[in-house]
Formats: sequence, structure tokens, C-alpha cells
Amino acid sequence: MPKFTLNGQEVEAKPGQTIIQAAADHGMEIPHYCYHPDLPIDGNCRMCLVEVEKMPKLTPACTTLVNDGMVVRSENERVKEAVRGVLEFLLINHPVDCPVCDQAGECRLQDYYMVYGLHTSEIPLGMKVRKRKVIDLGPMVVLDQERCVLCSRCIRFFEYVTETGEMQFFGRGDHVAIGTFEDRPLDNPYSGNVVDICPVGALTSRDFRFKCRVWFLHATDSVCGGCSTGCTVRIDHRDGTIFRLLPRRNVEVNRSWLCDEGRLSFHKLSDGERITRPLVKGRDGVQAPVTWEEAARSIDSRLKEIRDTNGAASILGFASPSATNEALFLFKRYLDGLGATQFDFRLDSEDKKLADEEDQILRHFDKHPNSMGAIKLGLMSEQVGGIEGAINAARAGRLKAGVVIYFKPLVERPGDAEAEGRVLALLDELEYSVLLTSHKADWQDSASVVLPVAAWSEEEGTYTNFEGRVQLAGKAIEVEGNALPVWEVFAMLLHASGAESPWMSAEDVFATMADSVSVFSGITLDQTRLPGVVVG
Amino acid sequence: MKKQAKVIDVSARAESESSFTKGVLGPLVGMGLTINRMVDNLTGKVNATIRYPEERRAYSDRYRGAHILTAREDGSPRCVACYMCATACPADCIYIEPAEHPDPLIEKYPARFDIDMLRCVFCGFCVDACPEEAIIMSRESELCAFTREETMWDIKRLMQRPELPEFGLGYRPNQTLVDSTVKFTPKEKEKKKLAGRVTLKEDVEMIIHVTFDPTKD
Repeated sequence: MPKFTLNGQEVEAKPGQTIIQAAADHGMEIPHYCYHPDLPIDGNCRMCLVEVEKMPKLTPACTTLVNDGMVVRSENERVKEAVRGVLEFLLINHPVDCPVCDQAGECRLQDYYMVYGLHTSEIPLGMKVRKRKVIDLGPMVVLDQERCVLCSRCIRFFEYVTETGEMQFFGRGDHVAIGTFEDRPLDNPYSGNVVDICPVGALTSRDFRFKCRVWFLHATDSVCGGCSTGCTVRIDHRDGTIFRLLPRRNVEVNRSWLCDEGRLSFHKLSDGERITRPLVKGRDGVQAPVTWEEAARSIDSRLKEIRDTNGAASILGFASPSATNEALFLFKRYLDGLGATQFDFRLDSEDKKLADEEDQILRHFDKHPNSMGAIKLGLMSEQVGGIEGAINAARAGRLKAGVVIYFKPLVERPGDAEAEGRVLALLDELEYSVLLTSHKADWQDSASVVLPVAAWSEEEGTYTNFEGRVQLAGKAIEVEGNALPVWEVFAMLLHASGAESPWMSAEDVFATMADSVSVFSGITLDQTRLPGVVVG
Repeated sequence: MKKQAKVIDVSARAESESSFTKGVLGPLVGMGLTINRMVDNLTGKVNATIRYPEERRAYSDRYRGAHILTAREDGSPRCVACYMCATACPADCIYIEPAEHPDPLIEKYPARFDIDMLRCVFCGFCVDACPEEAIIMSRESELCAFTREETMWDIKRLMQRPELPEFGLGYRPNQTLVDSTVKFTPKEKEKKKLAGRVTLKEDVEMIIHVTFDPTKD
């Protein structure tokens, strides 16, 4: 372990670390544009110049390896003067169009200017080298060549992460600009990441463009609900509307990346009407709105009636792999209490697709965030055999009643409509069915009871990704109407059935789950924050 | 040496103060003044009030009245929907909806720009915050309306100000710049139908950077 002195402080670095990395590990940010922790080091922006004792010149902190006994200074006048000079050079041809730039507020040029620059621009706008603006680069990215500081992060991203190499420098001298060959669109499934890694406003998001100024947004730490990878994300929202998803750096799962489908997955939530009140089918066969208490009482008494006449084996619990661990845990607990033994969650072959990689970077074929959680909680049985088996059993009369949770996947795939059709078929075959879902659809008429529940981002909870990593997703926005989180619905049903129901929050449910389910035993909620905890 | 304290004979003073001059003549003199003023007022020699609204007082050049959205040469709004005004606004009365401008040099423009005049506290922060001289204030202070809806001024209302020549420009931090380039279009028409609009010349672009010279701020 090399030890070195950083601004008069003895600091330990890991072997092979550069100064900038070691400093970052100790909470000290050395200004930089081109350096990115998940990209190869380039050393072209010269912003990270630091003074190293016995070196004749200032040296870039991102390329200089830490040696034992090194004495580094990053905050003295000589360094600041140099950084100010570099910044002034970078800003020579910058158009200073912050008022129209979407990056304003999270722009490194702005940040460092306020710390190091504060100089007067000597170049009037008329003398600046003008480059092209508002270049459409595919569905995710808009390019503005003028704002670019030529750090090459985007170029390196496409070269080393996606290995597609769409972007490159063009031109010479101060006419150098980034771009794609003949403005070809960036159509690879990870192109949205260059918007995040661009330290300035050169690459901005097509989807987020002009939607909201970033300083109005509130951030909630969450987990992407788009597939079984479970990338850690940040939800940026304002007044109950989600504006964008950004990756949170999690070295264990997604590093700094997020796929475009996941990035845009939140649009699916506002797509389609929401169910706002519990609906119970009356004698006339028409669903009518009732209060939650009435719904809970009627469900509980009806299920018990069916159990008493047809036996507990005639009750099916059909979970959704998009529900949180807490929801699935209470779901199972309630049905276990009734004596039900028939559980499953597979609309398709989620259990098999779970660990199948769609590509080499992030995505998995299973488009549900919590299939592994459902498996770990024992919601998969060969006895039922997926939804096909359940439909057949219901048709044969072996299953009479069912509690079904269904969420539309946030990332669409061709088979989704068929999967939804199978849920409908199941509801049709069952004599009595309780459907918990978030969005309205025609086929829900078949259910005896429809309960409105919170969708992804509207409730707190943990998800278990493909490798069994439990991660906490926070609640970003409020639920619409009278909908409740799934765990709360089952807590209510447990209460209606006369069982103990002491939970006040998802956190309480998590604690009970950690106590009573062996797989989750011993883990605490704190562990499920970055980077999450892998369960057996 | 200690100074001798002055001794005042209180009873003598009380007597002098309740003398005939002060007790009787004083009020008479005062009454005379009042009557004189009354006569002056009645005859129109002196007038303390003005006949509002036929007459108006001249407000200061920095008076903060109803806002004006300034225009470019071609009549489109100067505003680029940067939200600086909405961010600075302490009353939260500015609502902006940006849209994509076909000209890449402008890039962004407000599809909607509403100011709730009932919420506005006329602090002028929006004017201070604006980096484009797109919002300035007028000296217009008569903002009554019959309905609440009318007090929501949209972008059209904020830009086209027929009553502007009557009131004049108000608070504008960059006064010399704005005044040197300000233009009312159309210039002269019938007084009632003036569709006034402030226009800044295109060379303003350069000067904006001077405005933001941090050493002068």
C-alpha cells in the first residue's frame, strides 16, 4: 500500500491507483473533464494538474501513479493558476449559451469556473470559432459542437464500453469537433450514457431536452425496474412527475451505465389510465367501486369460503416478478395463512431467462426486476408449472380462486401481449379472482376484485436482481388515487383475516422478512443501499 | 469647578405659557392659516391632489410596474426560456413552457410564458435575473381586471403593450443599453390603438456578456 502526502495529509492509496483516484477515495475532488472512473484514462483535458514534489513541472493527476512517499499538492496557488489557465483556454470558443443549455446547473464548466476561473473572457462572441449546433444524433442524443471541451469521454465510451466506435474527433486546431461520420444516428442501445458522462452541454438528452431545469428536480435513489439486472438509478422528479432516470455508480452492478430502454422505462408508468379505487364485482357481474375495508373484508371472507368448500389447494397465489420483496413476502404470508399451497409467478419462462444476458454490457432477457426475489421467497413451484399450468388446473377445476398480481413490464418485448393474454385466460378460468394491478385495461373486467396498487417508483421496497443482490429502491412519487403499495394491501388483508399485522412501513416488513425468511436472514436495510447485498 | 445647576421657576413658566398671546391669539393665527388654505384650495390657487386618472404623477424611472417581454427585431420574444426569472421569483408567479426553436442559434423559446399578476409582488428579481434583457418592467400600475383569468398575463399580453407609451418603461437594470435600442412598433398611430412593443437591436448580443462581467457584478 503506497502512502503519500496529499495537501499535507498522509493518505494511503491502493497499488496501481493514480493520484486522482486515490484523492477521490479520500473525498477530495481534483478538477477534471476527461477522467472518468469507468473509462480508460486519456489525460487530454489538463484540468487535473497537480504539483508533485521533485517533479519539474505540474503533472496531470489522472495519469500519474501514486508512489510511496510522494508529496502532492492540489490546492496551492501554482496549481490554481495553472487550472485557471487551462479553464480559460477551454472557454475560449465556448458560446456561453447557458440560458438555453440543458446542462446548466450540473455543468462542470460552470462549477469549475466559479471555483477556479472567475476571469473575464477576452474573446468577444464575434471572434469565437463557431461550430454546428443542435445536431440530431439519433433517438437519445443531441449534439452541440460549440459547447464541447473535447475531453473524448464519449469517444472512449463507444470505443471501450459498447465497442461500437461511432464517435470521433473531426477537424484540426480550434476547429476540432466531435461527431459521428456524416451525422449518422447513434442507434446503439447504450447511447444515452454519453449524455451523462459528457461533463458539459455538448451532448444532451433528446428525451429530457427542455423538459425541466435540473435545479428544480428532486432526486430519489432507486433501482431500475426494467430488467433483472437491477441497475442502481437515480430518479429525478418534480411535483409528482418523473423527468429522467440517471445511473448511480455501482461498481458491482452497472458501474456508471444504464441502457436506453431502462432510461426511458419510466414513460411506461404515465402511459395509460390508472385504477384509482378498489373494484368489487357485485351480483350483477359489474365491478363497482368500494372502500378498501369493504374490499379486504369481502376478499378474506370469500377466499375462506372457497377454502372451506373446495380445500386450500384450490387457492392459487400468482405473484408478479415486478413486485417488491416486501410485497411478495406479505402476499405469501397471507395466502400461507389461508392454507394455500399453490404458488407461482411465471408468465413466461422468467426463471430461465433470468440470468440470460441480452448483451455483454448490462441487459438481461428477463424484463422483471424481482424474478429472483420471487424464486427466493418460494413463489415458484413445479406443481403449478407457470401460468400455463395454472390455467390448465383451473380449467380442470382443481383451482377455484386466485390472487393475482400483475404489472405491465416497464420495458416492452414482443411477447408481452401474449403474457397479458395468459393472465386474462387465468382470470377467466378462475371462479373467484383477485387482481392487483396499477394500470387499467379492458381485460380486467374478468376479475372478481380489482385492487389498485402502487407501481414501480411509487413505493419503497427492495428488489433482488439476477445474482441475488438485494437493493433498496426509494419512493419517488406519490401513488395516484386510492391505490396502495402491494405490501400494504396484504397487510390489510392479514388484518382482515384476524392475523397479526404490525407493519407501518415497507421497512418494518423488510425487518420481519429478514427475521423469518432464511434466505434474507441477517441482512439489514442499510446493507441494501449501495452497492446492495447478495443473498444466498 | 462644578457648574451651578440652572434653577427654573416652574410656576412662573406655567403662567407665561398660559398667557393671552398663546392661549387665544395662537389658535386665531392658526385658524387664519387654515382659512387661507381653504380659500386657496377653493379658488384653485393651490392644489394638493391631482385628478387621477385624468392626471398622473410622474413615477421614477425605476418604478416596478407590470412586466414587459421584449422582442427581437423580427418581433419574436427575446426570451429563451432559461427559467432564471422563474427560479429567482419569490412569489412563484412565473410559468414557462419551453419549446424547440427552428433556428439553432436561438434553439429555445417560450411556448408559454405566464405571469400571475395577482401573485406577483413586483420585486423586480426576474428583471435582475434575466440574462437576455428579455423581461423588463414598465411604469404601468393599473392592473385591475374583472376576472382572475384576466390577471394571468400570457406571452402575448406581456409583449404587446398598447398602453406602454402612456406609462413608459420602468425598472431595467441595463437602462442605457435598453434605452439606446428600445423601439416601439408601430411608431405612431392613433393614440388609443397603439400596439406598442419594445424592440432591442440585434447587436445586443455582445453587450450581454458585458452585463455578466463577474468583476463588475
